[in-house]
Formats: sequence, structure tokens, C-alpha cells
Amino acid sequence: MPKRRAGVCLSIFFLGGVVVSAAQSESGLNFSWSRYTLRNGLEVVLSEDNTLPLVTVVLAYQAGSIREEAGKTGLALLLENMMFMGSLNVGPMQHIGYVNRVGGEPNAATKEDIAYYYQTVPANHLALALWLESDRMKALEIDAAKAERAKQFLLDEIVQRKAAEPYQESLQEFDRLLYPDFAHGHAVLGREEDILRLGVEDVREFYETYYVPNNAALVIVGDFDTAAAKELVEKYFASIAPGKQVPVFLPPRPPEKKPVVASFKDALVPAPGFHMGYRVAPPFSRDHYALAVIDYLLFKGKSARLQRKLVRREGLALYVTGGLEKRKDVGVMKIFAMNNNETMVEMCQKSIVSEINKLRMNDVSSADLARAKSLFRRDFVLRFASPIDRAMSLAEMVFSLPGLDVLPDLLPKYMRISPYEIRMAANRYLIPESSVILNVTLK
Amino acid sequence: MKKKLWVCAWLLLSLGAASAQQERFRKSPPIPDPLPQLELPAVESTSLMNGLTLAVVSRPDQPFISLELIIMAGESRSPQNLPGLASFTAEMLSRGTPLVSATELEDRIDAVGGDFGTTITPDFCRFSLRFLDGYLEQALETLSLMLLQSNFSDREIVALKRTQFYDLKQKQRDPEFVGRRQLLRLLFKGHPYGRSFFNEDVFKSITRKDVQAFYDAYYRPNNALIVLAGNLDMAVAMKRVSHFLNTWPRREVEPPVLTVPAPNAEERYCLVDLPRAQAATLVIGNVILPQVESDRFPLAVLNQIIGGTPFSRLFMNLREAKAYAYSAFSRLEFFRSCGFYELSAAVIPSAASSSVREIMGELERINRNKVSNFELEQAKSYLIGHFPLQVGHLDQLSRRLSEILAFSLGDAEWARFNDNISLVDADRIFEAAQRYFLLKPVVVIVGDKNTLLEYLRDIDRLEVYDLKGVLLYTRIKGVEG
Repeated sequence: MPKRRAGVCLSIFFLGGVVVSAAQSESGLNFSWSRYTLRNGLEVVLSEDNTLPLVTVVLAYQAGSIREEAGKTGLALLLENMMFMGSLNVGPMQHIGYVNRVGGEPNAATKEDIAYYYQTVPANHLALALWLESDRMKALEIDAAKAERAKQFLLDEIVQRKAAEPYQESLQEFDRLLYPDFAHGHAVLGREEDILRLGVEDVREFYETYYVPNNAALVIVGDFDTAAAKELVEKYFASIAPGKQVPVFLPPRPPEKKPVVASFKDALVPAPGFHMGYRVAPPFSRDHYALAVIDYLLFKGKSARLQRKLVRREGLALYVTGGLEKRKDVGVMKIFAMNNNETMVEMCQKSIVSEINKLRMNDVSSADLARAKSLFRRDFVLRFASPIDRAMSLAEMVFSLPGLDVLPDLLPKYMRISPYEIRMAANRYLIPESSVILNVTLK
Repeated sequence: MKKKLWVCAWLLLSLGAASAQQERFRKSPPIPDPLPQLELPAVESTSLMNGLTLAVVSRPDQPFISLELIIMAGESRSPQNLPGLASFTAEMLSRGTPLVSATELEDRIDAVGGDFGTTITPDFCRFSLRFLDGYLEQALETLSLMLLQSNFSDREIVALKRTQFYDLKQKQRDPEFVGRRQLLRLLFKGHPYGRSFFNEDVFKSITRKDVQAFYDAYYRPNNALIVLAGNLDMAVAMKRVSHFLNTWPRREVEPPVLTVPAPNAEERYCLVDLPRAQAATLVIGNVILPQVESDRFPLAVLNQIIGGTPFSRLFMNLREAKAYAYSAFSRLEFFRSCGFYELSAAVIPSAASSSVREIMGELERINRNKVSNFELEQAKSYLIGHFPLQVGHLDQLSRRLSEILAFSLGDAEWARFNDNISLVDADRIFEAAQRYFLLKPVVVIVGDKNTLLEYLRDIDRLEVYDLKGVLLYTRIKGVEG
């Protein structure tokens, strides 16, 4: 493989924007991008990739569930449904129709912090994707009938998810205990009783507050000419009026440091189990990078320590999963295990604590660390491997705390983590005082 | 002065009106640029001395290498009394050698940033290994250990039985999986393909001897192919693959004898009980008889029109017009000797019976009337535009190529795919529908029988099955109790 210069090769300002070209070997990124902001506040990121004649357009809004007020949960996801029900020039379901007819794939995803709207289309239809997204950003048609239909879709989804994911309800309860406040701790899916109460005015207010250019990022990745794409972006988005100042989202106060143990009865789950979690360092803070490597040591790949220990070696769990999770400015580490019986639940928890204590007491071996880093590198690189993955990841980075410009420096930060830093991070965060346990019992 | 004020007022009013009106370009979709030329990467292929086929796609821009190994022996090669043996043998491959334990093999895969998985079809087993660029040597070494030195230890066989049993139990929570399995069990009953659609009990009787025998018979280089895609070329691939796999001994493998199953020819309604399921999942289909190569393209367009996307007939009818369904789609799948079509939908239980009627109606409609030009062009446009998306990921690219090579489909499904779709017209679709989309499909409904039986009372003859596929009873209309 040819050696390339490490780090950021070039970073120049042009037309009020930034061009970043990252060298692959260290940064894990073999592409460049340019970034600029329209006068109405819309962040724009463009990244050419001429491998195939495709282009992905992602429009991301900082409009996830953390923006919902108590009593109005489900609103963010409800609005996602409504975004496909028509805007001033695009009829109901036509957005999907326009994209499908040319062979493209449209979709949307609402997470705790961001709502993403995205489509990959043949490269000659870039203007179509921009036309569609700009129309629903500028003039979504919101009325009571549509709101009611969207509510019904959401309620149906809740019923289906409950049936398909038996530990869903206990997980929601666990999140309420683990996260420090209502904004972070409630589920994107929302509560049935809140959804039933939502009115068309709630939807309109949420849309007018958060679905505005000054709260959004437009990312285009694929086979296009940057100058021509800029013209199209200008044409479709520059004249959309900015919204009012988007309410500032304040980070929550850290919760009191004390262990929490609770239980949740659920007669419909197939076996007893438990959720276990730790309140850890915020994303991109000093200890976050070491915690991410711990995530890989414990949970990821075929060599994941907890899977091997609990399921295969000790037979204490039927299933175990977990990982580092972030919701905007809050980080947690979560573990879920399903056990044969309640004695196994207790033994399993002790076994997890003993495995974590190993991380606190001893340095991980160089072979284990190298393996965890290889897996991390794989997943990091995968996040940018296709136009759609790259566009989504770039959009996420635009809204991250350190911002998109730090992207070329990220992978090296994880790759430089030492056994000592892992031990220190485990000692600071994976401790009883930061832990929350929710036991799920059958009766 | 007065005139100036008047002009100012007029200007303000005009600006206000302009801002209230939208720009003209927003009113209708933009005219697209010409369709860009799709240039697919070149595929080079060769055979090693021992008969192993090797194909390489050079993609120097990729940070990964994707490897697909196909053994041309799927579930149809499992003995009649041991369904599931092909799947079990494939899974055993990564369970250790005399010198390298299963755990060490996993460590080796993780160390190269690898992902390893197996897929078993009625015709072949596929092993997929994707790893970070720069680790070709290590990845091939690990693959060769698995492929050439697996010892199928009794301890690992017991462990795998437990895992497979649990995995299949988990899959049975998915009504679509349950419905498709039941449909294919019924369509391929008595045919070797029917062995692919087993339940979790089959693993109990598999022994080490069975696994070894299956391996010895079919895991041969002259019965296998490898596709490598990523930052490498044929010279490098050939050298490294030969280095690790040239000791793999060749042995003649009996070609499969696959008859064509008779399609279902009479009305058949089946309910599979999935307790606590919220929706009714409908899976309706029939065998597609063997086709000439050129018929695959009108069939693809036909499938697109019926249920390929949310803008196809099924979705528009069942979800948008009738509001019965959460989703409604169709698909085609081709095996070596035949194929099947499947129309499926997840619907509200009270609309199960009406939804079946609507789906049957759509099937009749496509057999009775030629498709409109608008639908035809829309479907073709989708398939042509969508093709690059299907090979956008390196894994997708290597997987598709491996299947093309396994079924000897040639360039028609690769570089000439778009041209072949362009040539499809309404007459060819009509002919394909009449020839292959046979009426009288098997209808499978999956859901909670305590809820659904009431909603299906207008069906004359309903076979009721449990989750394992055991027939519980047959309900005849008018003969209750």
C-alpha cells in the first residue's frame, strides 16, 4: 500500500468554507470534503466519490427526542412520519415515489439527538433529491388528519416493537434510571399516553422550532462536481428563511454518585435477565477514547471478553450484549444479559464485576489491546466505506461537540490508547458508585 | 416627492408579494441530467492446479478486502434423514483444528479486523470473510486452517448443537421467517430443496461422523470458488491463495441430480400459530419453473411492478388504498433447478382474509392484463438506477459476483444487466407472468391462532400448523368442532 502523508494534508479557506483532505493510513479516511455555511445558517458538507454513479443526500436536523418536553414524548418520531406525508409541491408519499422511480432508496431515522433524512439516487438525480428535501424543509404540510394518521403509525409501531422486543419496556425503565435527566432518559418511541394527547399544534411548533436551516446540516457524498453541487444547494436552500433562535440545549447536571439497584417485573419476557450500566465520561472527553477501547475489549468481536466468559466458559448467561452509548453530551456504558434463572442473574452480575475489576487492577495484554484496536479500526473505517455511511457519519460529526474538523484526528486518538489509560478510565468510571442495575423478573 | 413615495410603496408591495409566492423552480421536479455510464470494475478469473476457481476484482480505493468462498454443496446435499447437516458442517469449520482452538481462530479473525460469517442455501454454502487491507496473508492463513484442518471435535459439536438450537428458536420469533419456511416446506416437500427448511430438532441426531462424511464428500477445491475484492490484483491473489490452498486435495464430486418440483396446483390455505403475534403475516407463493436466461429480466421487471418497492401494486393497494397492511412486498428467488415467487404482507388481523383476496386479485390481474407503459418504464427505471446501489459495498459486490459464478450466470447479470432490463417490454412481461407466475399459490398466514381463526372463517379448508411445522388439524368450513 502506498504510504501517504499522515494527518491533515491541506486545510484552506475558500468561498467562506473549508476543504479537508485526510490521509488514509493514520486517519482511516481516504476521502476529502469541503464545508461551508449558507447565510440562513444551513451547514453544508460536500464529499466527492466517483467510484459509482451514485449520490447520497443527507439532511440532518438537531431534532431528536432530547428536544421533547415531558408529556410530549414521541413528537420527534411522529414528525419523521409526517415528513413523508407531503409538502407544498410534493404530495403524500411522493417523496418516496420520486426517489424509488429512479432506483434510489429513501429513508429516515430519528435518534435521541438527531433526525436524519437521507436518500441515495443515481448521480444524475442530485437536483431531484435537493428539490425534495428543500420542499419539506421550506413548506411541510401539517394538518390534523395527517397528524392523526402519523400518531396511529407510531402507536402501531409501539405495539409491534413490544411484541418483537420483549425486553423493550424494561430497557426504557433502565434508561430512565441510568441517564441523568428526562431529556436524555426517555425513549425515542415515546409513551402511548403522551402520543394520544399530541395535537397538530404540537407538531407544527416542533417543526417550526427545529426543522429550520439554522438547525440543520446538508451532506452530499458521491459522484458530482463540487461547483455544480454548490450551485444547486444555493438554488434550493439559500432562499429558505432561517427560523428563530433554536433553544439552547444545556448539558444536564451530573447525577449523584451512588449505586442504584432496582427491579422490573415483566411476565412476557422469555427468561429473567438484567440491565447493568455505568455513567461514564462524555463523548470526546479525555477518558472517552479509553472507554471506547474498553467497549471493544468487553463486547465487540468474536473475542469479546464478556461473551466468552459468561456464555461460553461459565454458562451463566444465555445471551449478553452491551457497549458504550452516547446521547448528545452524555455517555454511558450498558450491559444486558439474559439468564436461565434468578440465581444465574446474581452470579452473572458478580462475574461481570470481576471481569471489570481485572481491567481496573491489571494492564490489558498487548495482544488483547491490538485486537480491540483492529476491531475498532474496522468499524471506524466502515462508517465511511460507502456514500450513505459516509454521509451519515459526516452529518453526525457536524453536530458533535468537537465538530467535523477534528475528524482526521479521531482514529489516531483511539489508536494511541495505552494499557495504563484503560486502567485509569476503568478506575474512574466502572465503579459501583456510577453503576445502575435493573433486574428483570418474570413475576 | 409624492411620486417617490408611491414608487417606494409599490416596490415594498411587490417584494412582499414575491416573498409570499414561491420560486417557479420549486413547483415541479427538476429535469435530470443524462444517466451516467455505469462502469463496473473488471473481473478476472482463473483456476488453480487443484481446480479451485479464483476471481479477483481490484478496488484499490477500498480499505478492506472482501473474500467469498463458495462450496457447491448446500442443504439439498444433506442426506434425506439428516436435514441441516450442510448448515451444521459449514458452522463447524470455524470450530477449531487439532492445533488451533476455536477460540484462537476467533482471535485471529478479530486481529485482522475481520468479520466471518456463513450462509447456507439449498445449492451452496458461502463463507464470507472481510478484513482490513494489509492482512491478506493472515486472513488466508486462518481460512486455510479452517478449510483444511478442521477436526470437528465432539466437544465443539455438542457446543454448536446448543448454539444452533438456540439461534433457530430465536429466529422463530420472526413471523416472516416462519411464514417463508412454511411456504417453502410445502412447495418443496419431498424434493431435496425441502431439506433446507428444517426446525430446531434436526441437530440432535447429527454426529461427528456425519459431519466428517459431508466434509469429505463436498469440501473439495474443484467444487469450490473464491472471490476476492479489494486493494489487490490477480497476480498477488493467485500467489497468496496458491500458497495457502494448493495442498487442498482434489476429488471428484458427484454432480447433483435435481428434478424440478411440481408447482402447487390447487387452493391451499395454511395457518401457522405464532402465539402473541400482533399482526397477521401473509406469505403467498409458488414454484417458478426453470427459465431460459433471457426470461429472468422480464421476471425481474414483473416482480418490481407487483411488489418491489412501496410504489408497487401490493403496497399501494394494501397499505395506501385499503389501509390493511403495515408492509406489502414481493420477491423472487432462484435456485439451480427452479425458483419461487413470494408475495408477502404484514396486515392487521381483522383484515387477514380481505388481504389474501387482494393479493390473489393482484396475481390474477398481472396474469390477465398487460402492464401499462407508465408502470413498465417506472419499474425499468428503478431496476437500472438501483443496480449500482446493489454493488455499492465491497461485500455486496463480491457476494453478487460469487453467486453469478456459482450459477454460471455470466455477463448477462453483470455488465449487460442494464441493457437486458432496457429491452423488456409489456409483451415479454405478460408472457413471463403466464408462464411462471402460476395461479393457485400456497397461502401461509402466520399469527396468533386464537385471534386469527375467527377472522379466517370464510376460508373453506384451512390447515393449522404449529411453529415446528407439525399439522395440528384441518378446519373445514361448516364442519366445526
